[in-house]
Amino acid sequence: MSLVTQVLTALGWIVVALAIMPMIWLLLQPYFKGWSRAERRAADLLRDTLTPEQCHQLVWRGYLEVPSPTEPQRVYRVPRTKGYVQVIENGRAIMRLCVQPVESLPDADIVVLHKLMIEANEEMYLQKANKYLCLD
Amino acid sequence: MGMLRVMSRRGDDRVTWDEQKVLAGDSEATAAIREAERIFAQERAKGATAFRVETGKPAERIEQFDRTAEQIILVPRVVGG
Repeated sequence: MSLVTQVLTALGWIVVALAIMPMIWLLLQPYFKGWSRAERRAADLLRDTLTPEQCHQLVWRGYLEVPSPTEPQRVYRVPRTKGYVQVIENGRAIMRLCVQPVESLPDADIVVLHKLMIEANEEMYLQKANKYLCLD
Repeated sequence: MGMLRVMSRRGDDRVTWDEQKVLAGDSEATAAIREAERIFAQERAKGATAFRVETGKPAERIEQFDRTAEQIILVPRVVGG
């Protein structure tokens, strides 16, 4: 294949890509917009609910530690993204909990949900959670 | 100012009200607080849990709408996963 043919083929593909890109963008735009707005609003709520230290912990360590209001030696480790909440007692993971909302929520809202429920309603939170014991 | 925040797949929906204006008989403020009360009751009926969140204080679970609250957050019903 001559160099001219190769260049023309490449140019042809570039033209095709440029032609279909706006159509793909139009199709995907509502999903991207919806996702980003929801995530942005959830991030606002998270920032309003956490202290600067808690925000720092969530960003840098990937989890938020929520102290138990009833058991001084117990801490709940809530992950930044979907996953199990670890129960730490005296520095050791003793249990994993799985609690989820019936409605799909942005990840940041789920962190707030865990924090509020643990702080204000720990007993019910533990009742609802599926528990998985951590065995050595 | 009070604010009701309802968690949903869209992030959170918000309704704000000014209790001082409500007490002064402002019709817009009264309509806003009525709307907040209606949403509160509707979401509670669906199984949502309500928390009063105040700056510098631990969150508190509430059963009734509190128009004096700085912020009320409604979280959807949760289940074990």
